[in-house]
Amino acid sequence: MLTKPGMTVSRWIDGVLEKNDLIDQDSNLRGMFFWGHAPNSQTRGAEMKRAMDKLDLLVVIDPYPSATAAMAAMPGTAGDLNANRAVYLLPAATQFECAGSVTASNRSLQWREKVIEPLFESRTDHMIMYQLAQKLGFDKELVANLKMVQGKGGMPEPEIESILREINQSMWTIGYTGQSPERLKAHMRNMNVFDVKTLRAKGGVDKETGYKLDGDYFGCPWPCYGTPELKHPGSPNLYDTTRHVMDGGGNFRANFGVDRDGVNLLAEDGSHSKGADITTGYPEFDHIFLKKLGWWNELTDAEKAAAEGKNWKTDLSGGIQRVVMKNHGCHPFGNAKARAVVWNFPDPVPLHREALYSTRPDLVAKYPTHDDKKAFWRLPTLYKSVQEKNKDIGKQFPLIMSSGRLVEYEGGGEETRSNPWLAELQQEMFVEINPAAANDRGIRDGEQVWVKSPTGAKILVRALVTERVDRGTVWLPFHFSGRWQGVDMLPYYPEGAHPVVRGEAVNTATTYGYDSVTMMQETKTTVCQVERATA
Amino acid sequence: MARMKFICDAERCIECNGCVTACKAEHDIPWGVNRRRVVTLNDGVQGERSISVACMHCSDAPCMAVCPVDCFYRTPEGVVLHDKDICIGCGYCSYACPFGAPQFPTNGTFGLRGKMDKCTFCAGGPEENSSQAEYEKYGRNRLAEGKLPACAEMCSTKALLGGDGDVVADIFRTRVLNRGKGSEVWGWGTAYGRPTQGTPGAAPAPAKKS
Repeated sequence: MLTKPGMTVSRWIDGVLEKNDLIDQDSNLRGMFFWGHAPNSQTRGAEMKRAMDKLDLLVVIDPYPSATAAMAAMPGTAGDLNANRAVYLLPAATQFECAGSVTASNRSLQWREKVIEPLFESRTDHMIMYQLAQKLGFDKELVANLKMVQGKGGMPEPEIESILREINQSMWTIGYTGQSPERLKAHMRNMNVFDVKTLRAKGGVDKETGYKLDGDYFGCPWPCYGTPELKHPGSPNLYDTTRHVMDGGGNFRANFGVDRDGVNLLAEDGSHSKGADITTGYPEFDHIFLKKLGWWNELTDAEKAAAEGKNWKTDLSGGIQRVVMKNHGCHPFGNAKARAVVWNFPDPVPLHREALYSTRPDLVAKYPTHDDKKAFWRLPTLYKSVQEKNKDIGKQFPLIMSSGRLVEYEGGGEETRSNPWLAELQQEMFVEINPAAANDRGIRDGEQVWVKSPTGAKILVRALVTERVDRGTVWLPFHFSGRWQGVDMLPYYPEGAHPVVRGEAVNTATTYGYDSVTMMQETKTTVCQVERATA
Repeated sequence: MARMKFICDAERCIECNGCVTACKAEHDIPWGVNRRRVVTLNDGVQGERSISVACMHCSDAPCMAVCPVDCFYRTPEGVVLHDKDICIGCGYCSYACPFGAPQFPTNGTFGLRGKMDKCTFCAGGPEENSSQAEYEKYGRNRLAEGKLPACAEMCSTKALLGGDGDVVADIFRTRVLNRGKGSEVWGWGTAYGRPTQGTPGAAPAPAKKS
């Protein structure tokens, strides 16, 4: 079972609730860890509560008890609660109580310093992970290549620098190899030498280590190929053929073979990154290709020993990447065309397929969804049967319901709604509704309304009447939790640990639906009805 | 000496409320008191614009003109400050201000209107610079530390600029020229008048402690 791809996080509730003979593994899911994860950012909240009640083990590892703790503690449907269920809340250290690298959305890494020691009973994530591995009996394997240091209360934990070094030594495919702790720390100490527009260092020598910063992009944005010693500067933009590969340039990857149905998948002649010795398309590099090109002897003896029989992804010496990039200006992963026809996807070219819950039966007929899948990541996954059953759902639930983010809150929002500066800016959960849709329903701006879902769930929120949404659509933010179908969940939070602002979670009312490739949940398109709440 | 001014560029403001949060955190401002806020006009329709508003530290400040106890004063840098030991919380300044800057904490007995609180351009008050007493009444004095207001420093799109009026006006003028269309510099004329006006007055002596 270990070798079979597991269930995705979006479907854990079905892992618990689905009939045992329909799932593609021996037993149903019995235990669940929420490690820095909000339950209210996942769809089908009403069913999630049932799944939570049936578990044997529920663990929350988080700086905040999170909505999971309150959801688990509140009473559910009679008969669902497993009398032997154990729930553990393990306080994790915040970012201020631990150090380490953190990657930004521009792919740059920065090094964080610890500001304070972990407060109260909180422990760092890597200490908790190590202690869990101890209980499960594979702690020695987990930390085989890591230096151990004393953490909170004198308890051992892996040294954070050696965790990043282990990542550096193994993540060759995506270029997470060049960003050593030493380089990142030198960047943090010398931010002033980096140009604020290009992110590139102009000169500069780190006083502490003598490291020359010249040419590095700030935080060595991945891909930063090769060993740290190769000094790849990081890639500020991907696939940039106007630059040399050792200057952060690149091209599309040869990841799908060299041809398909007689069509050449590699780049055409003359399309290559600047200064490449090979000016045609070429496949990814391995020991055979290197030998054929006559580049093998540019490896050191130690690199040869490590690279024999290997390719650019599995040569742990980094020698293949060094020779290919530095000596020949080529990309280790080859040089191919972008793949616009994805032949292994259900729709090789994106097609419109109407949502499972739609207000338009005509579009369901014209653009039907996929057939049901029997075992998709171990679970039956329904498409057509759900869509067919609900093709007239728009008569009862005529509004398209979508959800999204607010700038003030993050994710499930328990942490940010516990911050008074942010909580003050968004004090109430709301639904954006068009003036026409509101007027037809006798709803005025600021009034309380029920948003009702085909699942039978309903949430009590404030109406925000705005032209931002059209007449047929409503929109709700997904950062709220702490109210459940009209009831305040305050009594179910550990005392003193509730967020400042509480509100209905939109996902209490969302419906079934999963992407046919990634199993991503459907959060953007379902249906609902909105009614004025009578006091 | 530099004349301190704010500019908010409505072409750039994205209503992220970063300025509001920066202000609240920097000065430990209680819930319900908003020295700075972001106002959005035509929310949700074409032409929507947001601006960040606080005390503009006017050249001819109406609050100063109407205050019955004369608690306001202007620093040599043109920052309009007030003395909470003199303020009686009457609220006249609130009616006079075109920007809605004066704030009144109402958490006392019977919702009593407390002493006025407003943006200090991060320049504290009459107490000794960077003292605990100054921090508790007026918040942190960043100007005394050689820093500009926290809100403008935090602004991710640099819509909100705060600093030497000549410098921020130059930055803004360059933007308007590059855009090739009219300025969106809301409130600038109301606060600072024509360029010939607005010579900063002398600051009164700090209030005597009894």
